[in-house]
Amino acid sequence: MKIAVLSGKGGTGKTTVSTNLSAINKNIVLIDADVEEPNASIFLKPVITKEEKIYVEYPVIDSEKCTLCGRCGDFCKFNAIIPAKNTVLVFKESCHFCGGCEIVCPTEALKYEKREIGKIIKGTTLLKNYMEYGLLNVGELSGVKIIKALKENIKDRELVIIDSPPGTSCTTVAAVEDTDFAIIVTEPTPFGVSDMKMVVEMLRDMKIPFGVFVNKAGLGDMEVYEYCEAEKIEILGEVPFDKNISSYYAKGELFTQYMPQYKEIFENLFEEIVGGKNEN
Amino acid sequence: MKIAVCSKGIELTSLCDERFGRCETFVIFDTKTKECFAVDNEAKNEGAGAGGKAVKILSDNKVDIIIAPELGPKANNAIKAFEIEAYRALGNITVEEQIKNFQEGKLEKFENSSVEEHSGLRRV
Repeated sequence: MKIAVLSGKGGTGKTTVSTNLSAINKNIVLIDADVEEPNASIFLKPVITKEEKIYVEYPVIDSEKCTLCGRCGDFCKFNAIIPAKNTVLVFKESCHFCGGCEIVCPTEALKYEKREIGKIIKGTTLLKNYMEYGLLNVGELSGVKIIKALKENIKDRELVIIDSPPGTSCTTVAAVEDTDFAIIVTEPTPFGVSDMKMVVEMLRDMKIPFGVFVNKAGLGDMEVYEYCEAEKIEILGEVPFDKNISSYYAKGELFTQYMPQYKEIFENLFEEIVGGKNEN
Repeated sequence: MKIAVCSKGIELTSLCDERFGRCETFVIFDTKTKECFAVDNEAKNEGAGAGGKAVKILSDNKVDIIIAPELGPKANNAIKAFEIEAYRALGNITVEEQIKNFQEGKLEKFENSSVEEHSGLRRV
């Protein structure tokens, strides 16, 4: 079973939930798909066993064959390739490697070369779980390729938690697509709720069953509960706002290892998802 | 020759815009016929690559000279590839004042990009 953990608003507790959930069973594999700023490894402290470089392609023009007809430039949605007066401008970082420019070129003047955009780091956590995390190079526009590679790497594993990026844009979609269940981690504040609504819409569109987990419960107001009741969304559990939890977080520690009274919340969360049926 | 100036409006009396790739519109002045017309800057709403696209728009309009307050790296690469010259605009003045300054030789030519990429995105 592949379980995505996402949130909408950043800072609600995706990584807190993902990492503490993975801690209940060493057979759970965790992947950190927030490739722009992966932080699960801070808490899981993996011993690194392997690194995998990730590449994307970009067009290179054979100036002998190019007739500057302009078709590649007209096709490109990202302004990554622009035929100019005597040369063709290529903005490598803008290229989304759709392959379209090669297809429309009438003289076969285009081919692709590859460049590195980041890597995947693989290892074993302090609690003996297998984990992988993606790391996008600073300055790169899109981490989607790395996220897809992470998903491919663990596709045959039985139990996987995917710590996803914040928001609802293409990196989150790439992390969440084709998963069996999604946990929406939210906090009971107006910002938490409003961003959560976008995530609910996205997941319904993608037809992925989901439930809500409330982190920092008691911190704000009741709107999240009212919303979930009105929308018939199951609340899978909650963690109360507790300064001690923040304290362990700030030290880079898994709080359930130090506050075992909270372990049960994650065990129950796991049971709810893997044991029962949750359709939304 | 045709001179294009980044502008907030469509007239010669409009104020020069503060950015190139994402400026509102381009006012293009033909020094031979003394005619001028405005071209909407379609690049302004692009997610990325505005500088490159803006230069292409001007090249399609047969512009020879660009007057801009700043040039980002993509725009700079593009003007070299399209063989268009660019000159640095002066202060908070109108399009026609910029053109007058250019014709009097008062404007400095851009040799390299003057700002980082996406600088125009942060201004509302």
